[in-house]
Amino acid sequence: MSTYLAETRYPLELAPAMPDVWELWQRAKTLEWDPELDIPWEELHPERYPEEQIMAARLHWSRRTWGEYGAISESPALLLRFCLENRLADLRFFFTMRTQEEGRHAEASWLMAERLGGYFPQPQNPPTATAVGTHGVRRMAFDPDTSLEGIFASLVCAAEEILIDAFKATVHKATNPAVRRLMELILRDEVRHIAFGWQCLDAWAPTFTPETVKNIERATTQMIQNVEFNGYRNLWLAIEGGSATPLEIDADRVACEAGLGGTTPEDEMRIVPQFIKKIRARMAPWGVNLPLFDHPKLGKV
Amino acid sequence: MSETSDRLLRGYQAQEKRFLERRFPLRFTTENPILRELYGQAKGLRWNPETDIAWGRFDPQLYPPAAREAARLVWSRRAWGTYPGLGENTALLIRFCLESGAAGMDAKLFLSFRPAEEAKHLEACFLFARHLGGYESTPAAAVARASNQPFAQMALDPDVSVEAVIAALGGLDDQLDLNLCLSHLQHSRDETARQILRLVATDKQRHVLFAWTLLGDRLPRLDAAGRAAVGLAVRDMLERVILTGYRNTWLLPAEAREPLLAAEALTAEHGLGASTVAQEKAVVRATLSQVRERLATWDITLAPVDHPELGRA
Repeated sequence: MSTYLAETRYPLELAPAMPDVWELWQRAKTLEWDPELDIPWEELHPERYPEEQIMAARLHWSRRTWGEYGAISESPALLLRFCLENRLADLRFFFTMRTQEEGRHAEASWLMAERLGGYFPQPQNPPTATAVGTHGVRRMAFDPDTSLEGIFASLVCAAEEILIDAFKATVHKATNPAVRRLMELILRDEVRHIAFGWQCLDAWAPTFTPETVKNIERATTQMIQNVEFNGYRNLWLAIEGGSATPLEIDADRVACEAGLGGTTPEDEMRIVPQFIKKIRARMAPWGVNLPLFDHPKLGKV
Repeated sequence: MSETSDRLLRGYQAQEKRFLERRFPLRFTTENPILRELYGQAKGLRWNPETDIAWGRFDPQLYPPAAREAARLVWSRRAWGTYPGLGENTALLIRFCLESGAAGMDAKLFLSFRPAEEAKHLEACFLFARHLGGYESTPAAAVARASNQPFAQMALDPDVSVEAVIAALGGLDDQLDLNLCLSHLQHSRDETARQILRLVATDKQRHVLFAWTLLGDRLPRLDAAGRAAVGLAVRDMLERVILTGYRNTWLLPAEAREPLLAAEALTAEHGLGASTVAQEKAVVRATLSQVRERLATWDITLAPVDHPELGRA
């Protein structure tokens, strides 16, 4: 153990310093749930849906599982960074719950796919794994040249925000009671995750340097162009099309129309431009200028 | 960012790059029902230090000022010893993910919960220290050195096997931590202290079971060299960490023990959540025997140690 470096751990301040973030930690502890027990699985009734819809829903929830797994395997690295950089205790406390909640989301999404007929452990064509496999946050978190502000903006305020916008805009379409309850429970947790990101960035904004602002612009732009527009959340949005099969690309639409979760292209055409407009306006007071994005299906957004 | 944190981060970066993560196939099915059951229990046995401890019934005025001062120091020290669990277990979770998407989901799900459980323990220690008069954020230099161990780096070190990390951290240190916690509980009379220790011990029991279950699954598959490396890691943890005062004040260098040692004695005397030195020595000796016997079932030898405070153990 002597070959490792010693952290500068003390003074170890534990008192709340960011009341809003502390409140999120407190709320997270009171809103825990269990995917096995708190979803009305007996109301799922997969036998009532035609095979095409069940297949689409299985694909959709499998892909959601892969996405949630990123928050188990990648973003927890941020907690290690908070610890190394002696960030406020509020951040460290809250982020432990975030990891727990993301684990729960992954388990719940997997259970949904399983109980619909079977979870798919990988994309149908392996190269699609690059599109849906990683958002690259672990690498960013371990990279001292990438600012924490940039990671927050790209992961929490961009990647998670669009996920929630899509959930919020389509949860009413989930007519299946088990699917809807699952979406509501995930949504409830994710709202806290996003609030955490914005609250931190708002609090730090007065200290942003021009370099910080550029870092936020660069990281957020990359998250939208290289991750969101690469099909990480929804393969229909993938600019290149990649190697995803037509079945996979169409899965979100078919599942959504069946009331089993997901979004339609029409939903995406509305949600994504609104989301980009929203975060552009939200980040503008910090001096952040997000560029216009060209997307073959969405146009200039 | 300081120069130290920059170097540490680059260290993590270098460690992470040495793994080749294969995320797919990403399997979620249960491989080890006991580990999955422990995860299920973690979900079911959740608690909240703010609301599940009857803080309103704790009356600090029942204790003389010296006892309160002693206990706040002891519970602050307990917070310093709990805090590393946030990072260590997060690093271990990442390690499991880096090693394979196809295997180990039971452990990953379990570990996705553990940092939050450690955070709850930390909060409980902090809150109790506060109720006793105030949490102390800065230990004396020797205590700071003893309690600041690079276990998160070890967990992400590809040169140290997962089995070795789990054996050292879970099999030895977590087991000792649990046994000490149970000893403090057994010897406490204060209702609040007992409530905290009981809740914490319930979680720690799961953490220790996780370690031994995982080791029981994996150690039989290791070759002789792999098992020898596990033995060395446990030995290293024992000699360099445990026996230099990581958990026990009386194992710190003689000149560094006070005022913490006196504080622990007074806290134990008033039943506020500590054990006497004699009681802790018995726990350490029993733990070493327990760990030694367990490891022996996989032909891993933990030779006796000679220590001036402990004798031959």
